[in-house]
Amino acid sequence: MLNELVYNFAVWLDDTRWSAMLHESYYMYNWVESTHVLTLMVSLGMLFLIDLRMLGYALPDVPASKIADRLSIPMLVGFTIMFITGISLFYAVPVRSVQSVWFRTKMVLLVVCAVNAYLFHNRMNESVSSWDNDARAPSRIRLGAGLSLGFWTIVVICGRFIAYDWFDCDYEQSAFIEFFAGCVDGQERF
Amino acid sequence: MPTSILGPYTRTILTGAAIIGLLLFSFTYARVSVWIEVQPFFEWMETTWFGVIGKTWGAAFAFIEAIHLIGLALLGGSVIVGEGRILGFVFTDIPARTIIDRAHKVFFWALMTLLATGVFMACGVAMKIYYLPVYWYKMLALGTGILFHFCIRKPLLQRELEKINPWVTKAVAISSLMIWFTVAATGRWIGFSG
Repeated sequence: MLNELVYNFAVWLDDTRWSAMLHESYYMYNWVESTHVLTLMVSLGMLFLIDLRMLGYALPDVPASKIADRLSIPMLVGFTIMFITGISLFYAVPVRSVQSVWFRTKMVLLVVCAVNAYLFHNRMNESVSSWDNDARAPSRIRLGAGLSLGFWTIVVICGRFIAYDWFDCDYEQSAFIEFFAGCVDGQERF
Repeated sequence: MPTSILGPYTRTILTGAAIIGLLLFSFTYARVSVWIEVQPFFEWMETTWFGVIGKTWGAAFAFIEAIHLIGLALLGGSVIVGEGRILGFVFTDIPARTIIDRAHKVFFWALMTLLATGVFMACGVAMKIYYLPVYWYKMLALGTGILFHFCIRKPLLQRELEKINPWVTKAVAISSLMIWFTVAATGRWIGFSG
C-alpha cells in the first residue's frame, strides 16, 4: 500500500515537464551531479576535520570549540548546496530513485546522521570548556565523532552505489530485495 | 651556478619551469609518440590483480570509488582550511604556521588515499581511460598539483611566514585552490566521458 503510494507519487513527479527536461539535459544533469559530488570537499571535508579533531587525528593543538565553530559555517553551506542538488537529482530520476535500496538506505542514514550530529553538538556544548585544549575529546564525544565518520562513509558508499542497477525492480529480484526496494506488482515505469 | 643566479627561489623557479614544460609538452603533438609508447603499460594494468578485481566485481570497484570520494572530501577540506588561513578567511586568531602544518598532515594522508584508490580504479578501466583525453587532463592537473604542493608551496611556507611577501603567499594559496579544484573537476568529468 505504502509502496504503491510512493511509486504513484514518483510516477507523477516523473511526468512533470521539469523532471523530463532535467533528466534529458546532458549538460544540466551533469552540472547538477558534479556540483553534488564536488561539494563533498566543503561539506564532508569540514565535517571529517571536526570529527578527526575530536578523535585527536587532525589539528590536535587547535581548540576543539574553535574547530567546531569556524568550520560549521562552510560545512552547513556545503550541506545546503548538496541538499538542493540532491533533491534536483532525485527529481530528475524519481521512480528509479525511490525504488533503489541504496537510496532508501542513504535516506535512513541521513536521518541517523542528523540525530547523531544533534546529540554530538549538545554533548560537546555541555562539556567543551573542560577539555577544549586536549588533543583528544572525552570518550562520549569521540564515540559521536566515530559514529559520524562511520555513518557518513556508508552514506557516501550508498550514494555511489545508487548509480549501479544490481537491485533495480526491472530485473528479477529475491523477495527480500523486492520488499526492501518497494517494487510494485505490474509496474510499468522504472 | 643556477643557485647563485636564481637566488633563494631556485627550487620554485625550476619547478615552475618543469610544470610549464610539462604543459607545453602536453598541448603539442610531441605527446602523441609518448601516448603510443605507454599503451602496452595500460594493457598490462588490466591484467594485474587490481585490474581483474576491478573488472570482475563491480561492487568492489564501486566501493573503492566511494573511498576515493572520501579521500577527495578530506583533501578538499584540508586544502580549504590551509589556504583559507593563508588568505585570512578562517582561524585568523590561530598562528598560520599551526594551521598550515596540521592541514598538511591531513592533506598528505588524503592524497595517499586518493592515489591508492585511483591506481586501483585505473587498473579496472585502463584501456577505457587510455583513450579518454580528460583522463590525461586529470593526470596533468594531478602531476601539476603534486609538484606545486611539494616543490613550491611546502618549501616556500616552511620559511618564516612574516618574511614572505603576503602577495606571494596569497598567490600560492589561490593557485593551490584552483589546481586542486581542477583535479577534482576533471576527475568528475571522467565519469561522464566514454
